[in-house]
Amino acid sequence: MAVEMTMPILVVDDYKTMIRIIRNLLKQIGFENVDDAADGQEAFEKMQKNKYGLVISDWNMEPMTGYELLQKVRADEGLKSTPFIMVTAESKTENVVAAKKAGVNNYIVKPFNAGTLKSKMSAVLGEF
Amino acid sequence: MPAANVAAQVRTSLATLKASDLQDAQIMEVLKLAHQLTDTMKLFFSSLDQSICQEFNYIAEYISRTRDEIAALRPNDIKKERIPTAGAELEAVVTDTEKATEVIMSAAESVLCDEETDYDTYRANVEAKMMEIIESCSFQDLAGQRVSKVVGSLRHVEDRVARFAEVMGVRDADGGPQEETAEEKRNREQLLNGPAIGGPETSQDDIDAMFADAGGDAALDQGSIDSLFD
Repeated sequence: MAVEMTMPILVVDDYKTMIRIIRNLLKQIGFENVDDAADGQEAFEKMQKNKYGLVISDWNMEPMTGYELLQKVRADEGLKSTPFIMVTAESKTENVVAAKKAGVNNYIVKPFNAGTLKSKMSAVLGEF
Repeated sequence: MPAANVAAQVRTSLATLKASDLQDAQIMEVLKLAHQLTDTMKLFFSSLDQSICQEFNYIAEYISRTRDEIAALRPNDIKKERIPTAGAELEAVVTDTEKATEVIMSAAESVLCDEETDYDTYRANVEAKMMEIIESCSFQDLAGQRVSKVVGSLRHVEDRVARFAEVMGVRDADGGPQEETAEEKRNREQLLNGPAIGGPETSQDDIDAMFADAGGDAALDQGSIDSLFD
């Protein structure tokens, strides 16, 4: 199925600069319908109100981490099928394994570029 | 009154009693015995006093030496000057970095969104924004200098604490693991390890391989997880 380029994407990060970077990269790739949240809790609340085609989340945030958000999303009947990509500086194997076990669709380690983001999005959503 | 003085006083009283021309032989025997006992007591208490005195002298000397070493640590200088200055320097690094990032990103976004059709005007716009980016990169020099000062302060504290520990013969307390704080517990449970020094601990290629091995977005079974650690 073709990827809908107007689908809403939720970017979750506690650093406004990182949200801005990802917004710019997504715009460069062709996705302009981007919403954002500053932590897992805010993201989960937004996800209950709006339907997103993809969540791109940082790991290390307060009060709710990206890992907790991932677990909550996968435990929620209405949200569990939402594609979820972790974008984080947490690069230990145990983090990748834990995220994979919790149901993450792909994992990007910071720093990254538009090419990496696009290839992981393609792997999760299909070619666009 | 010191124990030796008490013994001396008892001894004097006995001597006085003895000199008072007592005729009873039994009382004289008792007095003689008491005299011997007093001598023994005096000897005992003298040695006891001397030992306690030596002990107190040692403790006083140790306290004095400890006070000198703590003074050499210059704890007030560390608490009032070095640590607050280091904190302020790091805050300045964060602020400078944020400001520079803001200028650089705004300039880049401005170029990306520039719809000017006239070539010369577009070129002038791009050149002006590129100069803004170049100028903003000077934050790296300032940040480097600030971080060097912080590293210097940390080394200063490290050196003084190490010297204090060496001179005082301080050893780390053992007796099992220390109690975990709430923050440490959360960091452990949430796997909050932070960025690795010297680049990612697991490269993007290795992460990609882990996802490829697991077959798309299928759940990773225990066997696959175990194979990651072989």
